[in-house]
Amino acid sequence: MQAIKALGASAPTVLSVVKKGGFAPIIDQIRQTHLPAPNPKERRPYSPFQDTSNVAEYAVARLDDLLNWGRKGSMWPMTFGLACCAVEMMHIAAPRYDMDRYGVVFRASPRQADVMIVAGTLTNKMAPALRKVYDQMPDPRWVISMGSCANGGGYYHYSYSVVRGCDRIVPVDIYVPGCPPTAEALLYGVLQLQKKVKRMKTIQVWYRK
Amino acid sequence: MSNPIAKFLALDKLATIFRIIKQNGGIRASMYKLYRQDELKDGRLVGEDEFGNKYYENPRYFYSRNRWVEYSDKFNMNYDGSQVTAEWFGWLHYKTDLPPHQDPSRPKYKWMANFTENMSGTTGQYVPYSTTRPKVEAWQPKPKTSV
Repeated sequence: MQAIKALGASAPTVLSVVKKGGFAPIIDQIRQTHLPAPNPKERRPYSPFQDTSNVAEYAVARLDDLLNWGRKGSMWPMTFGLACCAVEMMHIAAPRYDMDRYGVVFRASPRQADVMIVAGTLTNKMAPALRKVYDQMPDPRWVISMGSCANGGGYYHYSYSVVRGCDRIVPVDIYVPGCPPTAEALLYGVLQLQKKVKRMKTIQVWYRK
Repeated sequence: MSNPIAKFLALDKLATIFRIIKQNGGIRASMYKLYRQDELKDGRLVGEDEFGNKYYENPRYFYSRNRWVEYSDKFNMNYDGSQVTAEWFGWLHYKTDLPPHQDPSRPKYKWMANFTENMSGTTGQYVPYSTTRPKVEAWQPKPKTSV
């Protein structure tokens, strides 16, 4: 071990790179914020909050379940179609993919929306408008970044007039890859967001405080 | 079933409803299935994968709705499209008509990894990491020494 440490201090070995790079902190963060990986052999309970130690914790966990059930069952996205991804975003509203069956209904006003789907290239000129719309949304709010351009600039990454990823402007919950992503992929992204909403600890955090 | 008067009065549809409920295991089980997967269908059980998902087929339904999966009870309400295994994906999506246990041409090597569902949002998720030296080295200020 001493030898390895000495080696790590002297030259940029794999160990020092892993130490210095963004690898180890990410793993630590994931351990704190994410659920344990599911075992495919075990039965999965509905609620992600299973480790309650007393009656009060159990009660707030169930209240959280109820709140999350309501939130994930009626997520209203703000239509923010910027480019060709918006065409695929229209498709999930159409009968074939039919987002209405998940309680996802487009609202034209940010004040009535929970989710913002950033569909398409975010240009420098549009960025202040995007932020303004995001700021007008009531809490809790989520953002789905749809397509390569919104995820990280995509094809226009080296353009002088494009924001290299909408996560530079707003905090993003779900990244949907693709250029453009299929409507199916976007719908899967919405379902992933529902999963994420399901493990929100709103009341439990309030109780812990 | 082939009675033309019964067919005219749509009594065969009624018979179909009863057959569907019977095949799904009675009224109670049918209600549970409706709650769980929003759909109640009758069909031929084609096979089952390693997680216990059951694959059904019924050509009475129109194409693209005539093959479906009923997720294992273990998944409860947490089922997800990525839990369909790679072997069954092709059959379910009409890439092939041969289910995996009847297809002799499927390659099987010992280096092939086990199938996993989408682990995003759990500790099992894929995390990209860099194997090169970071271009930016963050400044780490030295803690103030109380002199």
